[in-house]
Amino acid sequence: MSVEMSDDPQATPRAIEGRAPDVFRPGGWVPMRCHRDEDAVDFVIVGTGAGGGTLACKLAEYGFSVVALDAGPYFRPLEDFASDESEQTKLYWTDDRISDGANPLQLGSNNSGKAVGGSTVHFAMVSLRFRPEWFKSRTLLGYGADWPIDWREMWNYYTEVEQALKISGPITYPWGPKRPRYPYRAHPLNAAARVLAKGCEALGVSWTETPLATLSAPRGLAHPCVYRGFCVAGCSTNAKQSALVTWIPRALAAGAEIRDLAMVGRIEVDDDDLVSGVHYHRGGRWHFQRARNVVVAGYAIETPRLLLNSATDRHRDGLANSSGLVGKNLMTQSNQAVWGLMDDEIRSYKGPPSLAITEHWNYQDKGKDFFGGYAYMSQGPLPQLWANTLAQARGLWGARLVEEMTNYNHVAGLKIVGEMLPQERNRVTLADEVDQYGLRIPRVTYSWCDNDRRLIDHSLAFMTRALEAAGAKDIWTQDDDTCHLNGTARMGDDPRASVVDADCRSWDIPNLWICDGSVFPTVGGVNPSLTIQAIACRTADRIRAMARRGELTGQRATGTRTAAHATSASS
Amino acid sequence: MSNDTDWLVGAGLALSAIAATAMLQPRPRTSPSPAPARLPPRTGPHPRASVRAARRLNRAAGMLAASVLADSSVEHYRGSFKNKAMVTPLAVSALTLAMSAHGTADRRPWAHRLRDGSYLLAAATGLIGTGFHVYNVTKKVGGFSWQNLFYGAPLGAPMAILLSGLLGFCSERVRDTSRARRPHVFGLPAARTIAAVTAAGLLGTSGEAGLLHFRGAFHNPFMAVPVTLPPLGAALLFNAAARDPDDDATRAHPLTRAWMWLLAAMGFIGIGFHAYGVSRNMGGWRNWSQNILAGPPLPAPPSFTGLALAGLAALGLMREHPDA
Repeated sequence: MSVEMSDDPQATPRAIEGRAPDVFRPGGWVPMRCHRDEDAVDFVIVGTGAGGGTLACKLAEYGFSVVALDAGPYFRPLEDFASDESEQTKLYWTDDRISDGANPLQLGSNNSGKAVGGSTVHFAMVSLRFRPEWFKSRTLLGYGADWPIDWREMWNYYTEVEQALKISGPITYPWGPKRPRYPYRAHPLNAAARVLAKGCEALGVSWTETPLATLSAPRGLAHPCVYRGFCVAGCSTNAKQSALVTWIPRALAAGAEIRDLAMVGRIEVDDDDLVSGVHYHRGGRWHFQRARNVVVAGYAIETPRLLLNSATDRHRDGLANSSGLVGKNLMTQSNQAVWGLMDDEIRSYKGPPSLAITEHWNYQDKGKDFFGGYAYMSQGPLPQLWANTLAQARGLWGARLVEEMTNYNHVAGLKIVGEMLPQERNRVTLADEVDQYGLRIPRVTYSWCDNDRRLIDHSLAFMTRALEAAGAKDIWTQDDDTCHLNGTARMGDDPRASVVDADCRSWDIPNLWICDGSVFPTVGGVNPSLTIQAIACRTADRIRAMARRGELTGQRATGTRTAAHATSASS
Repeated sequence: MSNDTDWLVGAGLALSAIAATAMLQPRPRTSPSPAPARLPPRTGPHPRASVRAARRLNRAAGMLAASVLADSSVEHYRGSFKNKAMVTPLAVSALTLAMSAHGTADRRPWAHRLRDGSYLLAAATGLIGTGFHVYNVTKKVGGFSWQNLFYGAPLGAPMAILLSGLLGFCSERVRDTSRARRPHVFGLPAARTIAAVTAAGLLGTSGEAGLLHFRGAFHNPFMAVPVTLPPLGAALLFNAAARDPDDDATRAHPLTRAWMWLLAAMGFIGIGFHAYGVSRNMGGWRNWSQNILAGPPLPAPPSFTGLALAGLAALGLMREHPDA
């Protein structure tokens, strides 16, 4: 059928000619429905991660025609992933960017992904629900901004995602309102997780096994976790329930088309102020895919970048930007840690890195001198990351670094995922430099506020006590680390104060949607992936409802191919 | 892992497999020798029925011991024999297995001192092992929690060697009292006592399977089988044990017997399912040396077979001895 070309997924697209890689079978393929550029599809989705991958699956299952584009390669986890941290940096988005501000973000590993499946291909799998009050944090807790969505509605979508990913979690969750039982049981704790548990028990706060998107029992063709520990460098067993092995196979089975190595550079807007498709770069040249609706799901940097790069004479500040908020209110999460040495061997790198968690300071408001909350989890840094941490945070080098590395097997650490407050000054703008596609690169500006610092100080003090209580010695703090990115296209009830509405539909252009972490008005103190996927599931349901009522503008997207294609591959 | 333990485990596995096969081998039927003329005619059931039941119980005890030998070999190897005491169940179950083989072949109507001793040792090992396993679970952070019940030493596992010892001990009592008016265990009617013990064992073993299959989130619907069929079997056995011994009409218990055969088969088919479970781990059977340890335990399901055989022995004795 096709001339056998190079099988380097970073050089040559794999999802072409009516087939896409079968991620479950080495060398295997699954059939893929393909669309021509000139045929307007119901939805073009830019990005295939937690937001775009999920939405592509759900919309295809609802009978819409879907083309989802990703700038990254279509990896085969069983074949392409090595137990080598350096090799696996291929999963990160390392294109040129400018990072500045008082606390510039370190971009790459734990806040980006460039692959079909997005950063879920290498995420730490921590799958937490928001505290219900956070959806109304302005009204109920006095900070940040309210979400336009009720937490009870989100609770149902969280359940849907937890089932879809077969989350392995504890039998009872110590915090928040009742939630259904996690579909799979929690994984066994490693020694690092037991250190967290000991510290919590000594300080009298609750702890539990972290709900994780990695299998504790077989699922279809996916193997259960082998506790190899390379989770954040890409899972080579398919135990990790990334978008690449969950939503995307379902999307393909339901008739969606995935285009890998397809970088979208500009969204086209017609004279009626409706979007008509996207310009994308693939196979060495630019193409234009026509579409009745465009969904941007490029995460908190690439999403505003694309909207800003798509400016026209009629939309001088970029698309969907009448509020002026596109790119603003960027929120990372604080990711500070406390490390120490245990007498016993810990070998913290065995198993998923964050097997135990306490959300105590997400749910306890007394005793805080700051707004927001944080969770903290046990840690399992891989050796290269650990050496980097020692070099950067403690300035160790040469013989001293080598000597410190001999303690690697005895290291235990606790690390927060902490809420940072939205600030308009933290933002994504366009720099004048251009990248390999000739597109203006993003400038990412970030500065902590006093509240951010108070939260970090509180967490470091508490975790130091916890680690001491667990018996650690030589305790030190890692003060400067961040993770996850959210904001930059927040959702809201007011078109003047938000970019999209509760349905992720832009206020300005009714057939332009944004569906990823950018829509978060606040980030909370938990990892965002589960919430992003829940939002995507909700958006899909809302789109279907609107389509049935004829409320999608542009040439109306019609759900004509409903049940026939709406089969699920892996549920 | 040292070569010594490899050999130990290999030997344990091989021995248990051979023994399990041997014990289920149908014996050639020896034509019944005519009763010696010099014995006076007796009333009541023939002692040979009791000996037959006793030998069946030896076989059941051996089946359980084989399961324990293989299971503890694999699981304690997985635990790197971290505590020296972890070799105990291997040694004791091997001895129990040998004694049970001896008992299965032995047609003499009296108890054997060595067998008796080893069965008591097995029972004691089961009790002490349970203590060790409880200690292992509760000393972990989180204490008596789902996490530690799932992944700590399995609380129910040592019960299998306890049951093997109990059934073996009962077997010796049945033999010893074969010339009495009715076979008994400590004055209790033997068949009904053994039926009750077996039923309790089925419930416990089913509970253990339930816990571990819950850990596996019952991801395969067949994982529900060993938590549904054995409790029904236990109920049937309890019912048989509770029946009026003088009521001749109800002594055959055809449904209960059939159910025991079903459970015996289930135990063996379970090995196949567990083998499939092993294959679903990364690398499948090509990576057997890791996946046998990571996957569902192959030797666990036959413990149901051992208990079902004990149930059949009890039911057989019940049929032949009205008041056993």
